Amino acid sequence: MNRQLAHLSDEALVALAARSEQSALAELYDRYGRTAYGLAFRILRDGTLAEDAVQDAFLTIWRSASQFVPERGKASTWILTLVHRRAVDVVRREQRRRADALDRAPEPTVEGVDEDAWLRLQRERVQDALRKLPDAQREALELAYYGGFSQSELAERLGQPLGTIKSRMFTGLSRMRELLGEPGGEMSWTSTT
Amino acid sequence: MDVHDLTAAYAVDALDSDEAEAYERHLGQCEDCREQLAELSETSAALAFGPVAPAPHARLRAAILETAAAERSNVVPLLQRRWVARGLAVAAAAAACIVVGLAVALSKSSDTRVVTALVSRDSFGNVTLSVSGLSTAPQGKTYETWVIPKGKAPIPAGLFSGGGSATVHLRGTVPQNAIVAVTIERAGGARTPTSSPIFSAPA
Repeated sequence: MNRQLAHLSDEALVALAARSEQSALAELYDRYGRTAYGLAFRILRDGTLAEDAVQDAFLTIWRSASQFVPERGKASTWILTLVHRRAVDVVRREQRRRADALDRAPEPTVEGVDEDAWLRLQRERVQDALRKLPDAQREALELAYYGGFSQSELAERLGQPLGTIKSRMFTGLSRMRELLGEPGGEMSWTSTT
Repeated sequence: MDVHDLTAAYAVDALDSDEAEAYERHLGQCEDCREQLAELSETSAALAFGPVAPAPHARLRAAILETAAAERSNVVPLLQRRWVARGLAVAAAAAACIVVGLAVALSKSSDTRVVTALVSRDSFGNVTLSVSGLSTAPQGKTYETWVIPKGKAPIPAGLFSGGGSATVHLRGTVPQNAIVAVTIERAGGARTPTSSPIFSAPA
């Protein structure tokens, strides 16, 4: 795998992609493609749909890289937000699949999943932080973010007023921010090669 | 419902499309929400690292890079077209909008067509550019809108492909004394205009 651009920041890569530099898009994929696919697969529970969502998101990055404004946020946030939004759009069109999958789909086990040390560290940090949330906040956040449920659907599913759901998501996400912001919690990409 | 309360739900994509649109309109007006959203979006994106999932097949990387390469190879040199502003007409006010822009008639040397461009600002301060009669952008090209605040550099405000009529919701806040302009740019858009505007209007 050609990693000649591995020394560049995510933001510099997006700027290069905006100038039609294909190796920059390849490097962004090498950094975030696996996480993007893992997220899309978790939401969609289907390899083909997940591949489509990731491809759509990365082509959006390629087409609109010139519109990325570094002052407004990190490139990794932009990329993963695009992937998440795409996957949620698809899962909402596939209502039945989602309802079935959430109840029955087995969680892949850690064994047999080959990944690098950095990704494993990030996963453990996120999972540790989620475990520290009160159950109701974790449930709301996980169903929204990984299940693709809208706040109205959540209110109905959980039998709670909409205001309660909104409050759980806000408090839960704010608490996650504090937990991930603790020492060692920097989520930005660093080269592991 | 207080739209400020929707920031966390928006950050995790838990709004339905109507709610999300209302929130995005609000964002243009609310600096506090923009700051809070930037923070919460970063946290929300960090959740992407949480799932245990199989690795993607190598064909995914190949498919993305091949499609990307095919798109950009379509880029052709911009044809020199002489767009001439033929005059101004008075714009009609649309309901709930204050029309602040203009209608412009343009002609090309070969065929004559009337292009109207309407810049309107709604009560939330969102600015919309409505264009009709503009031919589809050449292959590998796009129309790009710009907001040019007084005395400042143009800011990219959205892309559209032309053909029939197009409504472009300009991104970000548009200052009262800004100029809205449209140029033809490479597909995917540019960060700064690379050609003269085909039309411009005060916002």
